[in-house]
Amino acid sequence: MGSLHDSRIHKWLATSPPVAWTIRQLREILIGSLKQGPIPQHVAFVMDGNRRFARNHHIETVEGHNMGFESLARILEVCYKTGVTVVTIYAFSIENFKRSKHEVDALMSMAKVKLEQLSEHGALLDRYGASVRVLGQRDLIKPDVLKAVDKAVSLTAHNKKAILNICFPYTSRDEITTAVMKTVETYSTPIHNLQSPSKRTFSESGITQHIRKQSLKDDSEGGAEQRESRSSSPSKEGKHDDERSLSSSTAINPSEKDESHLHQFLDPEAITAQTLTDNMMTADAPPLDLLVRTSGVERLSDFMLWQCHENTSIVFLKCLWPEFDLWHFLPVLVEWQWQQKKIQEAAAQQQRSRGRSKSD
Amino acid sequence: MASATGITSAQETAFRRGTFQGKQLTPQQREELMKPFLPSEPTSSPDREIKKAAASRRRKSVHKKRTGPIHASIHFFVYHVIALLFSVFFRFRRAYRLVRGKIVELLKYHHRTPEFIAHDVKKLQKLPKHLSVIVDYQEDDEHQGNAGLEGLVNDVCEIAAWAASAGIPFLSVYERTGALKNYLPQTHASIWNTLEAYFGPRRKPTLSLRAPHLSSYSPPNTPPQTADSNGNLKEERQHLTVLLLSEHDGRDTIVDLTRTLAEMAQKGDVRQEQINMDLIDAQLSDHVSSEPDLLILFSPTVQLKGYPPWQLRLTEIFHLPDNKGVNYQVFVRALYNFAKVEMRLGR
Repeated sequence: MGSLHDSRIHKWLATSPPVAWTIRQLREILIGSLKQGPIPQHVAFVMDGNRRFARNHHIETVEGHNMGFESLARILEVCYKTGVTVVTIYAFSIENFKRSKHEVDALMSMAKVKLEQLSEHGALLDRYGASVRVLGQRDLIKPDVLKAVDKAVSLTAHNKKAILNICFPYTSRDEITTAVMKTVETYSTPIHNLQSPSKRTFSESGITQHIRKQSLKDDSEGGAEQRESRSSSPSKEGKHDDERSLSSSTAINPSEKDESHLHQFLDPEAITAQTLTDNMMTADAPPLDLLVRTSGVERLSDFMLWQCHENTSIVFLKCLWPEFDLWHFLPVLVEWQWQQKKIQEAAAQQQRSRGRSKSD
Repeated sequence: MASATGITSAQETAFRRGTFQGKQLTPQQREELMKPFLPSEPTSSPDREIKKAAASRRRKSVHKKRTGPIHASIHFFVYHVIALLFSVFFRFRRAYRLVRGKIVELLKYHHRTPEFIAHDVKKLQKLPKHLSVIVDYQEDDEHQGNAGLEGLVNDVCEIAAWAASAGIPFLSVYERTGALKNYLPQTHASIWNTLEAYFGPRRKPTLSLRAPHLSSYSPPNTPPQTADSNGNLKEERQHLTVLLLSEHDGRDTIVDLTRTLAEMAQKGDVRQEQINMDLIDAQLSDHVSSEPDLLILFSPTVQLKGYPPWQLRLTEIFHLPDNKGVNYQVFVRALYNFAKVEMRLGR
């Protein structure tokens, strides 16, 4: 594709009502048929290439970002209509503050305008059932933009069907650091102060030791099993309570308590990868299935590092973000579905062969 | 681009500028404009139980039932046609890439000679200082006969030799299970032999092999001593460091760090404000690895399989689509790709 003004006839034809209507129907059919297969639950996009697009087409950088926003709207429509529950987009990196002030300001005001427009149409958003969340360092956002952010977030908070995570001033290292910090905070706050235990006749440590001895006799294996099942159990709230009660009853070292600390802490050994995951900004989202980065740059650029380094399919596309549409996304989705089918087949085969070897 | 969105030009200006036929739109008018593009009313809305809504909904559902099966069958049909077409396409693409890869491999074989490899990378403006690769431990011998530990060691040896020939000083090898970590001396010996096969006994680079939490393994009395006796030779010889990484060095290490920090915080040795990105970064790069400049995957798709996340921040990730197994072509093309790319750090 050359300049934007090149193919005027082509464009006139494509935007004439009957053709536009046909294309729209075609899109609907494609989206509907995609729904027949497996659909990724959580998709992340790195919207790269707005500026290069602007440079290629000789338009203002800001206009490039605007086109990028339109592209985002289109792709969100595709995602939510096919049944993706969580879409995470990399809107603005903390590193992006290094860009020219003009561009940063323009991006900020664009975010503000779009969010305000979004807030005007709360009823329409309910049709998608989508709630907006903003992940990132809030204190780096200017107050007026923050106000628009909060309004949009609170307006859509009641929607449960789908989530749009906007990573606003975000880097993944910052996210991991914050998660570590939060975890440390939780584990270094005393659970409750003990009221000078030495004044009473019975020492609490003696009692706990006795209880522990008893419980060790009773269910030494059961306890170990519980521990394992806990680390793999997906339910979060229940698990936290579990951890707390477990560590407060058994894991406290009585000798340490007697020495200088009158505080009780949670046992740091209870920290698992799941604890950190729960403290990430995407805590309640399903695991990331698909990460798409446009513009041919094959780097993560500090995005979703914790979330995407396990089993996420990462796809790097050559096209620039403003050009990105259903027609680019369709092959990606179909290939993902294809891979998914292969994985399922392989798993089924493995199970079958395992069953066979057992029966032999 | 405009050709595929299914939006007429009048609608387009309305969306972009918020005006319709020269007039500014009110929010209500905008909503009216959006109506045809929206999905139908949510079926699982919370007020579904309310009887009042049920009547009107029933009328709608009757209407829907008439078109429903037709739509569903169209979708079903289109889905399977698309799946079939793409499946054929993917298979052909894979076959084509495989054949092309084999031909290129034959034409540009490195002949296990460092000069050939050095010649291949001579033109490149920059090389990664820290190269990282992901290799697989294959349990069953389905592909190219490189299963089990032996195949894994073979792969690592070859990659190490290529890296040394290309002049890359630091190589980290990620393998999910970390099987090789238990065999440091043996692995060192194997790489050592491969280097000798490539470079010959006199010119082969010195080698140290290590893994996080394990001490570096470089037998002191084998090569450097001969170099020591001749001071000049020692400086000419290049050195290759190979680092073995596993799944444990990713999330688990960050969890370990968090545990340690939590323990310290409980004793009051560290305050919460003192925990920042620099601290974590310093700890992780000391104990695990620094950020690699280039990560090469030998798998057909990009899946990181638990690679240490913290270190991946700005790493260039290279994979050759549909490639399977360790392959010199992937290595060279990754280096070419890396040299072309300009680094932009958020700017």
